Amino acid sequence: MSASPITAPSVSARGGFANALASRFARLTLGTDFEEERFFLILSIFIGVFSGLAVVCFRVAIDWSRIALLGPLPHPSALRIIGAPTAVGLLVAILVVHFFPAVRGSGVNQTKAALYIFNGYIPFKNAVGKFICSALAIGSGQSLGPEDPSLQIGASLASALGRRLEFSREKLRLLAPVGAAAGLAAAFNAPISAVLFVIEEVIGRWSAGILGSVVLSAISSVVVMRWFLGADAIFRIPVTTFVHPGELIAYAGLGVAGAFAAAIFSRSIGFFRPRLRALPRWTQYFQPAAAGLLIGLIGWIGFPQVMGAGYEFMDQAMHDQFTWRMLAALAGLKILATTLSFVSGTPGGMFAPTLFIGAMLGGAVGGIERHFFPLLTVSTGTYALVGMGVLFAAFLRAPMTSVFMVLEVSGNYSIIVPVIVANTVAYVISRSLQPIPIFDTLTRQDGLVLPSLEEQRDEHILHVEDAMQPVPTTILDGNSPVEMAELRARDLPDKVFLVRMAPSGWSCLTRNLLERLIKEGKGALTLASVLPTKRLPYLYPDLPLDSALRHVSEAELIPVVNRADLRMLEGVVTRNDVLTRYQADAVAD
Amino acid sequence: MNPLAPRSTARRTPLVLAVLTLIAILAFAAVSRLVTRLKANEKQIGWHAYEAGLIQAQAGHLENALDDFRAALTYDRDNPKYQLSLARALRDTGRFNEAEAYLLHLWDAAPQDSTINLALARLAARRQSVEDALRYYHNAIYGAWSSDPENNRRNTRFELIEFLLKQNARPLAQAELMALVQVLPPDPAAHLMVADLLRQTQDYESALAEYKMVLKLDHGNAAALTGGGDSAFHLGRYRTAEKYLQQAVALQPENTQARAQLQTATLVLQSDPFLHRVSDAERNRRITADFLHAGERLKSCAQSQEIDLPAKPVAGTVPPGPSANGLTSLWARWQAARPELRRLSSPTNADLPDALMDLVQDIEQQTAQQCGEPTGLDLALLLGARDREIADQ
Repeated sequence: MSASPITAPSVSARGGFANALASRFARLTLGTDFEEERFFLILSIFIGVFSGLAVVCFRVAIDWSRIALLGPLPHPSALRIIGAPTAVGLLVAILVVHFFPAVRGSGVNQTKAALYIFNGYIPFKNAVGKFICSALAIGSGQSLGPEDPSLQIGASLASALGRRLEFSREKLRLLAPVGAAAGLAAAFNAPISAVLFVIEEVIGRWSAGILGSVVLSAISSVVVMRWFLGADAIFRIPVTTFVHPGELIAYAGLGVAGAFAAAIFSRSIGFFRPRLRALPRWTQYFQPAAAGLLIGLIGWIGFPQVMGAGYEFMDQAMHDQFTWRMLAALAGLKILATTLSFVSGTPGGMFAPTLFIGAMLGGAVGGIERHFFPLLTVSTGTYALVGMGVLFAAFLRAPMTSVFMVLEVSGNYSIIVPVIVANTVAYVISRSLQPIPIFDTLTRQDGLVLPSLEEQRDEHILHVEDAMQPVPTTILDGNSPVEMAELRARDLPDKVFLVRMAPSGWSCLTRNLLERLIKEGKGALTLASVLPTKRLPYLYPDLPLDSALRHVSEAELIPVVNRADLRMLEGVVTRNDVLTRYQADAVAD
Repeated sequence: MNPLAPRSTARRTPLVLAVLTLIAILAFAAVSRLVTRLKANEKQIGWHAYEAGLIQAQAGHLENALDDFRAALTYDRDNPKYQLSLARALRDTGRFNEAEAYLLHLWDAAPQDSTINLALARLAARRQSVEDALRYYHNAIYGAWSSDPENNRRNTRFELIEFLLKQNARPLAQAELMALVQVLPPDPAAHLMVADLLRQTQDYESALAEYKMVLKLDHGNAAALTGGGDSAFHLGRYRTAEKYLQQAVALQPENTQARAQLQTATLVLQSDPFLHRVSDAERNRRITADFLHAGERLKSCAQSQEIDLPAKPVAGTVPPGPSANGLTSLWARWQAARPELRRLSSPTNADLPDALMDLVQDIEQQTAQQCGEPTGLDLALLLGARDREIADQ
């Protein structure tokens, strides 16, 4: 992998005094040989701090714009409720079209694209644009959330910092997810979920190398956020109860309902987004305004809950504040409102709307259950809480995050069984209803192909044992003379022989070499004395077949040994075996 | 790979860290200022919403108050005053789950706060949960009050006792009252309240003691006289009851209940043949009068039940024993015993007065069961008989 820096502005621009100060400071504290790895870890903390500060400012900006646009009263006037999202939609469209074209949508895909396509490069302008446009849009009542923009803002800050510090391309790539985790953790006050989400959706694969940095940045950003905005969770979790094991059937039902809702939501976005983007350019000025107008009308006819992120209404749903009919209506209208906001290109996230829809749907299912089976359930609050995870698993296809998010938000592990049951059902059904996850759909619509954990789950991984040949009938002993070995090999068809060396290890020799040694009069010598001292590499049967590729060019034959006893041979593998197995797999696909 | 890049970064690492720290400190200060301004602004908006909510709540518009309190909390999320007001409004509108969530949240932060515990106790009381209510009421009583702790503790305990009485948890209520009595100040109103509650728990002995305490502090307290009279009446201390009730009726002539009770107490005292300081002649006169009155009560009861009682005793029949409980058998016993009245003054019949009054008791009890609650002298005879029975036991 190439690891040259992307930009290399002159370091010598700094004054001599600064250099002298730096070296003196270094001698006093850390020494000059400060490892880059350790520095990267420390920098992760700084990224967390800066992202946390940025997210705090972002939250403040959203609050300010909401008060300014919709007013401080609980029930805004009709003029504000319809006018604010419409007018702000127009303003946001102008900003997006003319100044910040890259800030459309949620920001998760842009961050992922930066990681895999642009070597971790995210312009700082994106952070500024995302901040302004999303704060205005969410504050005016567009049905979007602040989490995904926070993720992108964090990633942009990290990328800008990495570039400024002239990190290698390899490190620069890693910085984007570190910042993304910090931004998301601060936005949702849930560091574990943020780390998991970034791994599942941004990095798209499990990578132990970056995990430490991601965790550090997420934790530090949450600390900063809590410093300013308090340590309270977003929701006041009601007393959650799991009354009867029979309830699990209802939770499974919630999973089914969530999967269908997610499919409708996902397909709506997938259907309308490319069509609206294909419209003439001048319409882009009016699309967010039109979405804002329609959302304002939804609010005006009696459903203002669908406007904005809607956390306070999720909280109320968890406390039985709505009838199940109202909850079902809110879930449906939120799907509509979020689809309108998102496909119109308004910057903002889908994280909060997903949770909103899930909470309302969960509450509705819980309400229906209580209506028909009043003895089975006590409160619909638990269903609303589980519903949030269900939609998260089904729509965003982040099953691990969905489980931990509910546990982290609720701080209640007693509902883990319902959460796992409902989320698993939702995830499995949604995979069959909508094979391509929403973020992958969006990237494909943008003409990009990015890796995802979902792809990895589907991927059939070949292992060494799939290509391995049985143990050869003849294994030569390294202590036996060459002439004895030649005698044993004479009647065998094999061209390559495996040699067991003492006290451990393996080597191999070809029939040609054996015959040459005899001709050269070295028949009395032991095999160990004539073979190279370097032992053969060996493999384990469960290793991925990719790892065999690294070694098959080094020797004609690679032994595959047992993990419990390295002298016990399980089989052998050759370059030809590996290639044949890959070809067979390709034909099968 | 460019090996120079990491080394150059490494070389200037300390400076970079110093600069980053400095930027972080400056950014912290700037954000802190920004957040402080926003919070101050939001707190002001929240306060206005809270005040509007209080006005709505006072006017009885609880739904509007809820909206205002919610808005107040949107702007000042951690304000315990707003949370408490919202929780109370939620409780009063029947949204118990959400109210409990707010209150428990507050309780987590300040488990010793009596106001929060009292709100939780009232919520538990609305849910009829005696165990939770008792726990939170006790927390409130022994917790920290921001002002006038003694008075608040006393009022809270009164509230708890009233709740327990409504739940028919008399032993628990009595225990609370006993605890309350220990800390009562010399205030007749407080003692009167405790005495009334003790009377409700049917602890007449303690109630009478408290009424006496009230009367010691406030001699002419009509309510204490009435209550004391009633307590003494229930304890069978008719002379004390008569004394208190006479004073009560004198102070409150319109108090018909006290008047009726006084009349009964007087009748008991006038009809009881076994009272101290009653002469033999008077005793015999009372036994005769009580016996004849019981016979009349038996006849009228039988008549109302359409039961024919024979005018004369049936010849050759043995009067049924005391175990017989039918009106007819009682009549037979009464007729058989009537001639015995003449022998009352005879010194050889020492057991006769008791035997006759036992019959009177049986008649009054039986007629009370079959013909409804007695009044007047019948009630007096019944009460006197019951007291004698209790005394015998």
